[in-house]
Amino acid sequence: MSKLEKAYNELDKMELVSSENSSVHALDPRSKILVTSVYLCLMLSLPLVRLSELLLFFVFPILTAAMAGIPYGFLFKRSLVVLPFALLIGVFNPIFDRETLFYVGSVPVSKGWVTFSSILVRGLLSVQGALLLILTSGFYNVCKGMEQMKVPALFTNQLLFVYRYVFVLIQESIRLSWARDSRSFGKKGHGVKVWSMMIGQLLIRTFERANRIHLSMKSRGFQGSLRMLGHFEWHRSDSLFLFCWCTFFLVIRIFPVSESLLASFRWF
Amino acid sequence: MHMSDALVSSPVAAVMGVVSVSLLVLSLHKIKKANNENVVPLMGVMGAFVFAAQMLNFTIPGTGSSGHIVGGILLSAMLGPWAAYVTLASVLVIQALFFADGGLLALGCNLFNMGVLSCLVAYPLAYRPLAGEGGSSFRLSLAAVLACLLGLEMGAFMVTAETEMSGVTALPFGSFLLFMMPIHVLIGIMEGVATAAVLVFMRRYKPDLLDSCKPVSGQHKVSKKVLLVIAGVALLFGGVFSWYASSDPDGLEWSIAKIVKDGEVSSEPEMVKNMADRIQRNTAFLPDYGFAVGENGGLTEEEMEATSSSLSDSKTGTSVAGITGGVIVLLLVYLIGLLFRNRMRDKSV
Amino acid sequence: MSHHYVSFDNVRYRYPSGSEALKGVSFLITHGEKVGLVGSNGAGKSTLILHVNGLLYPTSGTVNIGDVPVEKSTLSIIRQKVGVVFQNADDQLFMPTVEEDVAFGPINMGLPMSEVKRRVEDSLVAVGAEHLRKSTTYRLSGGQKRSVAIATVLAMGPEVLVLDEPSSNLDPHARRLLIRQMEGFSHTCIVASHDLDMIWELCPRTIVMKNGVVAADGPTKLLLNDIPLMESCGLEQPNLAKIEMLMKC
Repeated sequence: MSKLEKAYNELDKMELVSSENSSVHALDPRSKILVTSVYLCLMLSLPLVRLSELLLFFVFPILTAAMAGIPYGFLFKRSLVVLPFALLIGVFNPIFDRETLFYVGSVPVSKGWVTFSSILVRGLLSVQGALLLILTSGFYNVCKGMEQMKVPALFTNQLLFVYRYVFVLIQESIRLSWARDSRSFGKKGHGVKVWSMMIGQLLIRTFERANRIHLSMKSRGFQGSLRMLGHFEWHRSDSLFLFCWCTFFLVIRIFPVSESLLASFRWF
Repeated sequence: MHMSDALVSSPVAAVMGVVSVSLLVLSLHKIKKANNENVVPLMGVMGAFVFAAQMLNFTIPGTGSSGHIVGGILLSAMLGPWAAYVTLASVLVIQALFFADGGLLALGCNLFNMGVLSCLVAYPLAYRPLAGEGGSSFRLSLAAVLACLLGLEMGAFMVTAETEMSGVTALPFGSFLLFMMPIHVLIGIMEGVATAAVLVFMRRYKPDLLDSCKPVSGQHKVSKKVLLVIAGVALLFGGVFSWYASSDPDGLEWSIAKIVKDGEVSSEPEMVKNMADRIQRNTAFLPDYGFAVGENGGLTEEEMEATSSSLSDSKTGTSVAGITGGVIVLLLVYLIGLLFRNRMRDKSV
Repeated sequence: MSHHYVSFDNVRYRYPSGSEALKGVSFLITHGEKVGLVGSNGAGKSTLILHVNGLLYPTSGTVNIGDVPVEKSTLSIIRQKVGVVFQNADDQLFMPTVEEDVAFGPINMGLPMSEVKRRVEDSLVAVGAEHLRKSTTYRLSGGQKRSVAIATVLAMGPEVLVLDEPSSNLDPHARRLLIRQMEGFSHTCIVASHDLDMIWELCPRTIVMKNGVVAADGPTKLLLNDIPLMESCGLEQPNLAKIEMLMKC
């Protein structure tokens, strides 16, 4: 399957998941946007050596996914794409930073390895947070929520427009590349020259499509601004969701929670 | 080339976010003022086009590997720099949300590295003057290659700088830069050649669609304004980063102190050493998180020294314990989550 | 309400590239008529359609919808009176959800929200798509897209409905459903299509275009059975016409 087809299927699958019903799906997207931002900010501000608290941030994606009825594996698998680049940069830490931080049994663990693990965990966590926002709200609601949060309508409309036509243009590109592949044998015909003509074609068609869309917008009375139907209303459950998670994030950001947790385990 | 959330610290993300978002707002304002209602569907569909075009590959001759384009210069040449930046920004947002390219916090960095630098810097400063008004195919190609190269090199530099400022990597700035810049020369030339090929195609078949072939009034005024904006951004950078570098204990200090501490690099310039010493001295007096938190791995320089000289049992014990504790809690939460999900499923059935 | 006619009076249109797409087109369509618009590719059908809605203005000649001439100053009235369903439903459905898309026109007309919602409801019911209300546009099938595209136009409460190739890319079942829906419309309808069987069933009257002029204008059964005329215009006798002829024998 080509990259294009994979991307199409992926978007399609995510759109399906985001249109399900659950208590998390039902929340005001603004509440979810806020929680996701607080989560990201506090998580990423945690120093790299505090790996144990960083791990606790996994509570958010795991629990929210469960509440939303999304298998955590679905989320986890998708977040793995972030690893290669993080690996590439992080791998130098164990090499350069060999200072021993603690021992596991008699094996010394260097600070480099701890920070390296932290980089990977941060990557996974941040991606899972973002994905969760989309999967529990849907792109349409996220954009509408952003618009209600005073993001300029021109930009949220732009996002929605791109999202709407990504599906159409990916399909068009798939057809173009089928036409190319079916007439080019082996790898011949995949050079920059053929590619540029293909892209040029796509570009011209894109302009023509934009004109047709504009005509159909004008014929329905478009005068320069798009307006959306209805708006979200903030409920008590939204405040609760926001409050609970923010408190949780703040606590694990500020206090050495995992230490005390373990202490209480020992105590039992 | 996408900056990832994993590599960026909150302050760096915040500064870059502010810069990129203000430029985005400025661009939106420019577009609104131009009052061309056709631009709404056009930018929308062009965003989808870039999205799809980035996934159409071509073979790079002689290597067997394949390449694609980011599209900043191409978009600018079609839509003009402001609309191009907005379009590219929308694509980056969607990629960050759906495909985990980069991340939400690193979005500011990515908008800047890939959007601002190519659309608002490389395009007006390199492409426009070089390509001229309706110049020859050769000039167009040359301009495209140079502008892409410039854009990508600046982008690569910024990726390096942002990562280093965030203090997540132990890789010294110099080596990191030496690793990034040459690779991006190649990538830049590739992007440039591909962009040039498309532009030449467009010039032949649909010259009216090229922004650079339209007799645009005020285009040069725009580039002057862009210069002003960039100067402002540079000032902001200098100001905020220098403030950040001197006040944040877990960013620069960490990486600089690292270099100084390692025996091999004791021949580092005196200046760096002095700076690191100074920061070290400061942190010794300041009660930063490491002190407040005490024993859970948030170690300051002092403590690190302590650990390396005499590894006291209690300290190492708690750090392992901390991580184990975290893992146990997670497993518990995961199990609870599973139960919860099953219950939900039952309910919905 | 006999004043809801569509009249073209010697309309000429030349594209900026220089080619003349309409070379003096005149006709009058009265209230409630269903008229087929046929002709080979490039005969000028699409250009003509753009004129009905004021998306293009004649180089010379006049277009009137009822007693309102199509001009820059009358655009908002014209666009309420005339609804155009374009050929490519993907280009017509640009909003993220069906509901938003159908509401787009009424919102632009400045109607109050309660009225907008009522219209969305009514027009989706009219095309049998009320269950798609919350759906994402890109997930719809070809037939559903077409129905929703028609609903987006119906929601504006037009008096004249113009459909460009409504049956293209539809499977036989979806096409049949569409024809049944259109039979139920009381609007003045102009249907441009290569689907001559559909025109045969749906429209009592047909206008045949050729090279930017009206080659023939009259009862469908007469014109589409006129084999020399059909062939000279790059068309052919519809199958339904052949069958009817055979049945008569």
